[in-house]
Amino acid sequence: MSCLPSTLAMLLSSNIPPDKTDLDGGTIASVVITGISVVFIGLIILILLVTLYGKVFEVINAKADAKAKAKAEEEAKAKAAEAKKEEVKAAPAPAAPVVEDGIEEEVVAAIMGALSAMYAGSGKKPVLKGVKAVKPRRSAWSAAGVMDNTRPF
Amino acid sequence: MAIIQSFLDTLAQLAQESGFAGFFADGGWKNIIMILISFVFMYLAVAKGFEPLLLLPISFGMLLTNLPFAEMYHPEYWNYVEEFKEDAGTVNDHYIDYQRILEHGGLLDILYMGVKLQIYPPLIFLGIGAMTDFGPLIASPRSFLLGAAAQGGIFFTFVGAAILNMSAADCASIAIIGGADGPTSIYVSSKLLTTHSANSVGTIALAAYTYMALVPIIQPPIMRALTTKKERSVVMGQLRPVSRLEKLIFPVLVTLIIALMIPSAAPLVGMLMFGNLLKESGCCDRLVKTAQNELMNIITIFLGVTVGATTQADKVISLDFGKVMLLGVVAFSLGTACGILLGKLMYVISGGKINPLIGSAGVSAVPMAARISQKVGQEEVPTNYLLMHAMGPNVAGVIGSAVAAGVLLAIVK
Repeated sequence: MSCLPSTLAMLLSSNIPPDKTDLDGGTIASVVITGISVVFIGLIILILLVTLYGKVFEVINAKADAKAKAKAEEEAKAKAAEAKKEEVKAAPAPAAPVVEDGIEEEVVAAIMGALSAMYAGSGKKPVLKGVKAVKPRRSAWSAAGVMDNTRPF
Repeated sequence: MAIIQSFLDTLAQLAQESGFAGFFADGGWKNIIMILISFVFMYLAVAKGFEPLLLLPISFGMLLTNLPFAEMYHPEYWNYVEEFKEDAGTVNDHYIDYQRILEHGGLLDILYMGVKLQIYPPLIFLGIGAMTDFGPLIASPRSFLLGAAAQGGIFFTFVGAAILNMSAADCASIAIIGGADGPTSIYVSSKLLTTHSANSVGTIALAAYTYMALVPIIQPPIMRALTTKKERSVVMGQLRPVSRLEKLIFPVLVTLIIALMIPSAAPLVGMLMFGNLLKESGCCDRLVKTAQNELMNIITIFLGVTVGATTQADKVISLDFGKVMLLGVVAFSLGTACGILLGKLMYVISGGKINPLIGSAGVSAVPMAARISQKVGQEEVPTNYLLMHAMGPNVAGVIGSAVAAGVLLAIVK
């Protein structure tokens, strides 16, 4: 086995002139054996090295994953603890609703009053986040048609 | 009267100097046949889409070189000057008078220097490297074995060519067609073929690219014949993800191992891996884009046209070219068969986890051979996706054929 590299090196160094014809059986066999052996040996060496460093990286990546997982778990625990603390504290005042230009304060107050009345007794606290005017989806002519057709009902 | 006579003389002289007259000169009919063949290749490239990026430039180069008196390419300039004595007093039968070519050569002569000086094939490999993802090969290193097995076609075809009493240079140049790698075939043949060889770089390239275009026709029957329905139906598991660092180490590692082991493979493997390192580095976007696009396209044009220019009538309309085409298909088929047979062995060893169809992708026609594995696999199980598994042997085949080329160059010289 140990003499294999030296045999291959010898075969590789044994030259055949490009213009030589009538290649004998021994020469042809040596080309085939040397060629296939060298290609396989070269690529097997690469398989071993790529597999080896693949394993090394798998171990490194597994360690890094485990670390990241542990860190994420710790962070999740810390967040959960914070959330519990916050629950104990009073709920912060709701932010002022976003009101579109042109809507009067009285209208906003009336909407808030109606909402409070609706949820009174349910134990829920409604929060008005914004008020904006809804643009009419129908044109004046279309609205007039709808009114005309639905008036009897 | 003298004016008319002068006019007629001038017309007669123009007719004599025109290319049309050249067709009627000695052997001019061969040029006509070659021009017709170039039309066939143009048709195959444009209408049938057979490797059009290369076949179209090759066919046009073939047309240009067979136009009488166009003087774009001079085959006689590329004859080796024998008995040239080097400083040491040794005879060098591989001497080409480049000074003469630079002074008197046509456009295609000048461009052909890139082929003869082995500049274009490594640059094409640079572009291929910049476009290739070696991730599937790194994730499944055993794919290297399939890439190596498929090179068996190269060496077995060497035997066939030798039996036909061809010269060692011809044997090696024809055998390398089995690697299904155009640039490698051009690289080996441009280094080995001499004035005395029966074949030219052009005919070898023509055969190589013809068979590469015919991969979808040649491979599937061999794949079906050598595998059972059960083997073809194997659904392979997902490949592991490969980190960026692994992809960065790979090109450096392959260059070191292969170039140190077989130095004659260094230009091809080195440039392939350099292109890949540029891609994986993530910090050379401009260079990667150039290698993938502009450089690759420019070299493809130069390579195609000049290789086409070397396909002259006396080399193509010959029995030797028939032998090249015959041995080329043998090489290609044997390469496919060797890959499949090792795939079958791996199927048995792995307990039926490896689909042997991925073995045929070991011939390096990237990515066509991998697509064929996918297509034949899906004929049995429509939801089977073998493409990424086949890409491993496919890119291993590129490395394998470069190594095989290095071995042939080391032996035949």
